[in-house]
Amino acid sequence: MKRTREEVDATLQIAKLNAAELLPAVHCLGFGPGASGAAAGDFCLLELEPTLCQQLEDGHSLVIRGDKDEQAVLCSKDKTYDLKIADTSNMLLFIPGCKTPDQLKKEDSHCNIIHTEIFGFSNNYWELRRRRPKLKKLKKLLMENPYEGPDSQKEKDSNSSKYTTEDLLDQIQASEEEIMTQLQVLNACEIGGYWRILEFDYEMKLLNHVTQLVDSESWSFSKVPLNTYDNMKISDNFSLGEVYFELDTDKICRAAAQMLLQNAVKFNLTEFQEVWQQSVPEGMVTSLDQLKGLALVDRHSRPEIIFLLKVDDLPEDNQERFNSLFSLREKWTEEDIAPYIQDLCGEKQTIGALLTKYSRSSMQNGVKVYNSRRPIS
Amino acid sequence: MVQIVISSARAGGLAEWVLMELQGEIEARYSTGLAGNLLGDLHYTTEGIPVLIVGHHILYGKIIHLEKPFAVLVKHTPGDQDCDELGHETGTRYLVTALIKDKILFKTRPKPIITNVPKKV
Repeated sequence: MKRTREEVDATLQIAKLNAAELLPAVHCLGFGPGASGAAAGDFCLLELEPTLCQQLEDGHSLVIRGDKDEQAVLCSKDKTYDLKIADTSNMLLFIPGCKTPDQLKKEDSHCNIIHTEIFGFSNNYWELRRRRPKLKKLKKLLMENPYEGPDSQKEKDSNSSKYTTEDLLDQIQASEEEIMTQLQVLNACEIGGYWRILEFDYEMKLLNHVTQLVDSESWSFSKVPLNTYDNMKISDNFSLGEVYFELDTDKICRAAAQMLLQNAVKFNLTEFQEVWQQSVPEGMVTSLDQLKGLALVDRHSRPEIIFLLKVDDLPEDNQERFNSLFSLREKWTEEDIAPYIQDLCGEKQTIGALLTKYSRSSMQNGVKVYNSRRPIS
Repeated sequence: MVQIVISSARAGGLAEWVLMELQGEIEARYSTGLAGNLLGDLHYTTEGIPVLIVGHHILYGKIIHLEKPFAVLVKHTPGDQDCDELGHETGTRYLVTALIKDKILFKTRPKPIITNVPKKV
C-alpha cells in the first residue's frame, strides 16, 4: 500500500502548500516492518570525530575495550576515547536512501516519489571523548613475572604469566600505538614472542657485562659492534645503528642511580653524587637532570637528601596523583613537580594548566610554590 | 577483558544515511508499534527548507551538515556459524552499516493543519 502522487498532492492541498514552491520530488517516509528502537540494543549511533570517520571510510576498525567492572573505552589504532551514552529528549530517525535538497537538485529526476523506509529510531547516541590511555595495568602485568635470564628456573616453568602483544591488547585499555610507546618507556623487551620487563638485578648484571667488555676491548661507548651482542636482549639500552650500538649515557647513569637508591630509604645528596659518579663507567658524566621522574632531591633538609620516587609507581588518575604527591611533600616548585605530572598532560594541555586546576600557588622566599587545594588526609 | 570490534560492513564506499531529529516522540495510533506504519511526506521547498507533513501536522525544519558525523552500528552476536577460519568464536561485534553526515532537524512545534471541509481522496 504505497502512497501515490495523487494522495501526496491531496495532502499538500489540505495543508495549503503550493506545490510550485516545492521541489518535485517527495520522500514518503514509513517505518519498515522490522523497524525498531535502538533501546532493544540491536543497533546504535556512534558520534565520530572527522578523523575517526575518515578511518572507518578507509576500512580501518575501532575496538571497544574494558572489563565488566571498568568504564569502556574505544580505541583507534593510535588514540583512546571514553565512551559515554548521551541521551536526548528528541527522537532520532535513521533514514537510508534519503536525499538532501542539494542532491535532488543535482539529480533532476522525474521519478518524484521516493518511498523511503526508516531503519530505526533512538533517543540516545554514543559520545566519544579523547582520554589518556590507561596504562598502569601494563607495568603491573609485566611485573608479575620479570625476566631473570634464560636459565632461571621460572623460564622452565610453563605456568608463569607471560604476555604477547595480542594478550596485552586484550588486557589494557589503550590503543596499540599507545601500548607500544609505553612498552618502550618501561624498557620492556620482546623475548621469545612475549613482552618482558627485565628483573632489575638481572638487567644490572647484563649491563655490567657489557660495560666491562666495552672497557676491556677499549671500544668507544658510541661504537659497540653489533654482532657480538645481538643475542643479549638488552638492545633497549642502545640506539640501533647500521652495524654498531651506542651506549645511552643517560640510561646507564639512571640505572646506576636506581641501583644505589633502591637499597636506601634516603641518601645524603653529596655522598650520593660522589658514589654515583664512581659507579658509572669511566667517561660517562652523571647529572641530576638524568633522574627526572626517578628520584627526588630534598633541598630543605640538612643535609640535603635524595630518594627514589618513580613516576610509574604513582597513581594514574589526575586527582589521585596530585593527592599522593602532596602527601609526600606539602609544597612543590614547578621544576620539582614537573617530571611527576608531565605524563598527565593531555592533548594541548600544559603542566601549567594542570597546576592551575589541581593546586594553589604561593610565593615562598621569592620562589613560586604549589600546594594542595584541599587538606590532604 | 572484553574486546568488541567495530568494523566496516564492506570494503569501500559506506552508505550515507540521513538523520531526522524530531522534537518529542512519535507514537503509533492504537499503540500498535511503529513498525510497518507510514510516517508522512517529506518535501523540500525550492530554497531547500525541509517540510514534513505527519497526519494533520506540518513541520518546518532545516538541514544541518554535521561537524561530527555519526556511524550506524549494527550488533552481531555470534551464532553457530559465526566462527573465524580457525574455528574460534568471534564474539559480539558491531558492523558500521552507514555513516550519517547530514541531519534534518525539526525543532519547532508542529503546526496543526486546519481543514474546514474534509476532502475525500
